[in-house]
Amino acid sequence: MLEVPGGRGDPSFDKARDEFFSEAQELVDGLGRDLVALDQALKRGHSDPEIINDVFRGVHTLKGLAGLFGASRMSVVSHELEDVLDDLRLGRVELSSHVLDALFQAVEIYNRILAAEKGDGPDPTADAEALLVALGQVSEHRGGTGVGLIAQYDLDPGLLGVLTEYEEHRLRTNIQAGLALFRIRVRFSLATIDSALDDLKEKTKPHGEIITYLPTGSGTDIETIELEILMASRALLHVLRAAIAGPQVDIEEVRRRTAHSLAVQSSLPAAPMAAAPAPRSPVIRLDPTTDAATLGGSGPPPILGSTGLPALRAESTSARGSGPAPSATPAPPPGALTGPVGVPSRELSLRSVSQTVRVDIRKLDNLMTIVGELAIVRTAIAGLSDRVRIRPELRQLGIELQRLHRSFDRHLSQLQNGILEVRMVPLGQVFDKLARVVRQISREHDKLVKLSITGAETEIDKLIVEELSDPLMHMIRNAIDHGIEPPSEREHVGKDEVGNIVLNAFQKGNHVLIEVEDDGRGMNPEAIVASAVRKGMVSADEAKDLTAQDIFALVYMPGFTTKEVATDLSGRGVGLDVVKTNIAKLGGVVDIVSGVGIGTKMTITLPITLAIISVLLVEIAGRLFAMPLASVGEAMGFDDRQVRTLEGREVMTVRGKSLPVCRLARLFGLAATEPASTRSFVVIALMGNRSLGFVVDRLLGQQDIVVKALGRSIKSVRGFAGATELGDQRVALVLDVAALIDEVLAGGESRFMAAALA
Amino acid sequence: MAGLVRTGARHQRAARRAGEGGKRTEYLAFTLAGEAYAVQIAFIAEILKPPPITEVPRAPRNILGVVSVRGKLVTVVDLRRRFQLAESPIDRKSRILLTDLGLGEQIGLLVDEVLQVYRLAESELEAASALGGDQPAHIAGIGRPPGQLLVLLDLRPILET
Repeated sequence: MLEVPGGRGDPSFDKARDEFFSEAQELVDGLGRDLVALDQALKRGHSDPEIINDVFRGVHTLKGLAGLFGASRMSVVSHELEDVLDDLRLGRVELSSHVLDALFQAVEIYNRILAAEKGDGPDPTADAEALLVALGQVSEHRGGTGVGLIAQYDLDPGLLGVLTEYEEHRLRTNIQAGLALFRIRVRFSLATIDSALDDLKEKTKPHGEIITYLPTGSGTDIETIELEILMASRALLHVLRAAIAGPQVDIEEVRRRTAHSLAVQSSLPAAPMAAAPAPRSPVIRLDPTTDAATLGGSGPPPILGSTGLPALRAESTSARGSGPAPSATPAPPPGALTGPVGVPSRELSLRSVSQTVRVDIRKLDNLMTIVGELAIVRTAIAGLSDRVRIRPELRQLGIELQRLHRSFDRHLSQLQNGILEVRMVPLGQVFDKLARVVRQISREHDKLVKLSITGAETEIDKLIVEELSDPLMHMIRNAIDHGIEPPSEREHVGKDEVGNIVLNAFQKGNHVLIEVEDDGRGMNPEAIVASAVRKGMVSADEAKDLTAQDIFALVYMPGFTTKEVATDLSGRGVGLDVVKTNIAKLGGVVDIVSGVGIGTKMTITLPITLAIISVLLVEIAGRLFAMPLASVGEAMGFDDRQVRTLEGREVMTVRGKSLPVCRLARLFGLAATEPASTRSFVVIALMGNRSLGFVVDRLLGQQDIVVKALGRSIKSVRGFAGATELGDQRVALVLDVAALIDEVLAGGESRFMAAALA
Repeated sequence: MAGLVRTGARHQRAARRAGEGGKRTEYLAFTLAGEAYAVQIAFIAEILKPPPITEVPRAPRNILGVVSVRGKLVTVVDLRRRFQLAESPIDRKSRILLTDLGLGEQIGLLVDEVLQVYRLAESELEAASALGGDQPAHIAGIGRPPGQLLVLLDLRPILET
């Protein structure tokens, strides 16, 4: 049976299991299809290396999948099969109908193993072992062929030395099949080589096969590269030349070294694949009918050969019979790995699965750092190009430099976007989990809830997704517990008895917005204020002056709850403050809009990535600092005369409210490098329910930066989240706003406490 | 970047070679407030012309600030402050020695001037006690190449704290 972490009861276990089955089934079906094509090709007397490669890739993917899910029998079979296919691919074993029989048998065994893993088929171990024996015997009959063949051609030994085993095999096969070899020299521009090479491949395809290509390394300048392409073709030289003509193309036929070789060539079979000599000892043939009998009639007897595909399909559906409504096409697993849903995606998904690479996110961080450095180099080049261009005698050089700079700039931003894109995962990953939570919680509380999700495909930084599930879970719980009314109450107020929760995600500029909206009873400002007063969070007098926005802000206060009785869901007053804090850690903010009787909408605004954050650059005593914009509410002119000292703490009044003020130059002990300017600014930072005005000398604007951690030796210095390089090698420290607010406000409180105690 | 001198790998190899022979060790000599000091070159990854140094408010006094070395943040320590020597402003002879003691981060040391590399034989080394009395832990000994007198520093006690 499968061993998957998570255990049987866990729904995620079932889901992963389902995904495994559908993916594996899809791959096995694909193998069956490829083998039929291979069989047909063999009957026509030739082999198609591309199909063998496809089969090899499919089996390789199956092996990986099986390993991941602990399906050990499948791993073993795949492993052995891979060896055989590798031999086939490299020409160490000829593709004969015997070998093909064994391969078809393997597909059949795969289906039985899958059925057995699901628990609705007999144990296939014995069959699998028989197959392994057969596969082992195929591998034993490797033979070296045509070793001296290649040597007859006037080929560069340097080129022959670097051929892969596969390429060598293809070269040999083509020579044996009587094809002529051509050497093509093509000069490509470095900028367009990818598309140009593809173009060339496309043009040559109807005429033959490209064995290999290598850079010649001669006669090229820095902008171009010359490739030597070795191609096998039946076409005559002038036909080829016409097909791929171009100013940069030079084509010639590779000559034989000796005159005798012609005789040698003609004595070889023209199509060795079809006339393959029988293996020295015959492969054990697995009899499909007897194997089918061991299935106990759980499926129709498989008919192998040219009709193998339908038989396998029928087998696979019967194996899936225990599931709901067996379908002829297994559903592709949900998730990013598969292509678009539907039949055409089958081939696609086969490839996409095998072409996925798992990457440690730290490696991406490293790449991002390098991009950051290149951005600095770019700035330097721009400066250089400006300096060169103002010199009349260097005008031409300046123009060229500028052109290079523009191209560098463009590619660099593509690179940066490319790396950011790799970090992105769809929000659907966390939304799927929430759908289960909704079902579970609503059932427990006898509420009827319909969850609608839009924008699950919206992508966001992997690290952010990991941290989002807890906050979103809290918000959903709140919506169900506080928002959605019981069915009877909903009917009473004329709403549909099924409550709606809508989860929307979409991208807006450099941010991703996630909305959690319910059509429940909404937040009652009076209840919130009453509760806050009762808990002593605000005084009754203060409560009178609160704006709607202030009132909603109260629900973020630690310990806040309107519930008289705590349920196991919510009401303990732990929730929204945690949501707010967690989101703030990700550089995001939460906003609430609510109407009594209409519902509540909470919106999370997050940066798309943590790799780059937006900051406000400020100057304090002649030094540069960066403040993360996510924690900045607003900035305004600062006037010393507005400041009053209350209990040893400086406070100013903003729109009728007290705002504690922190003079950063004083806190940091920075002496002004120039006389204090007449004007300065206060940047109002918000963190949770607390705000603090930071007094700075100048606002220098907004910038997207990459934050880097400070070294261990100064990690303990309070108040800085890291630093960033701004270009010109200048480094600006990034303020840790949350820590500074903590420090300043706590400091004030302790002074106040000390005064009170004295 | 043009002013950077990469020395690390080469000298680490050289130091290893010398270490195997047990004969000579390579030291990089520099000056601080007019006095000559030296550290084993094996611990020097790179010598930099000082880029703009960003001071870190409220950091210990020894720490001048941070600089960016090819995208990595490096903390710069002022040995003159550490040794309570006279300070002078950064000029064109000033250098930052990028040290790597395997502490998990590279630390920069601001020095007034880099002199040269000395390959000191054991006979040219004296224990710190030659200076008499109790010497601080960071003084590893005295180097006496012909015509020079070098205070050999052990960087660990300086940079670990």
